Amino acid sequence: MRYALLVQGGPYSHQATHSALRFAEALIRRGHHLETVFFYHDGVYNAARLLAPPQDEPHLGDAWRRLHDEHGTRLQVCIAAGLRRGLLDEREASRHGKAGGSLEAPFELTGLGQLVDAGLSHDRLITFAP
Amino acid sequence: MSDESNLPSGDLLVVLRHGPHGSLWLREGLEAALVAAALGQRVSLLFMGPGVAALAANQQRGPLEQKGTLPMLEMLPLYEVEQLLAVEDDLVALGLGAECLAVPVERVGPAAVAALMARHPLVLNF
Amino acid sequence: MILHILNRSPLDSRVYRQALTAMGPDDRLLLIEEGVQGALPQMVRHFEGLDGRLFALREDLIARGLEGRCADGVLVIDVEGFVTLTEEADKSVSWF
Repeated sequence: MRYALLVQGGPYSHQATHSALRFAEALIRRGHHLETVFFYHDGVYNAARLLAPPQDEPHLGDAWRRLHDEHGTRLQVCIAAGLRRGLLDEREASRHGKAGGSLEAPFELTGLGQLVDAGLSHDRLITFAP
Repeated sequence: MSDESNLPSGDLLVVLRHGPHGSLWLREGLEAALVAAALGQRVSLLFMGPGVAALAANQQRGPLEQKGTLPMLEMLPLYEVEQLLAVEDDLVALGLGAECLAVPVERVGPAAVAALMARHPLVLNF
Repeated sequence: MILHILNRSPLDSRVYRQALTAMGPDDRLLLIEEGVQGALPQMVRHFEGLDGRLFALREDLIARGLEGRCADGVLVIDVEGFVTLTEEADKSVSWF
């Protein structure tokens, strides 16, 4: 089946991200496709470029990047939720007169329409929230 | 109150369970509903728990000029979001009679909540 | 059939009551994260009537030192079982 995840909890602040990543690994092991992860609400902080957890903690940002690299999962960040929380790619940063972006590929800023589309076009959408 | 057979069906049910100003849940839930409607999806809104406070009349901007969410509710008809439902028990719990509401809403009993979940292929909880 | 996913403890919030209100007669409820507290014998009365439809995520129980302390009748599943529940349900709704 084609799965999408909606992540609404910030990294480390809540277990939502850990739960989503565990579920992601398990669904792939069971032969499903994780096509899309959509980050909304405080979930957008998962895309922060400079996450720097201590070495004995899992690196949640890298875990998302691995899903993209190994399974082609799209990592979509709601642009409205991201901008108001300081998550900007290079293009948005320069548009807003800021030096340097705080979000980089494979995370991509995108509209809420992508969430609606994922919810209706994928076989399953599972939400992980704080 | 509508009985179950009159409940709307649609593409997306957005459940709003948080009141205005205290967090972004309500605003970001309404934004999702408006975007889905703008894309031509049939959207139903269900106000539940503390979320029914979103319907109160006379809401104001916050002291730091936070916008609040009432203007978004007033925009819903422009996006053809016409199915606004609220859990009767929760309205009663906050003393929100029809005269206290900013927008008209269909009051539903607890049994309708499960029926609404079943009638929409996608449910987003905020 | 809908899979409802609850991550809040009955001790902490009334969200579990919202989830119960939203459940149809065949729907299932999975307790995850702090929600697994609801699987304890002292708490499970809040989920009366869900015989065979109440699940708890094993790894969240283990991490909290609660494995083996669940009430009879709670179905403890691993994360693969979580995926299976989502396969079997038409959709899922998360309560938080």
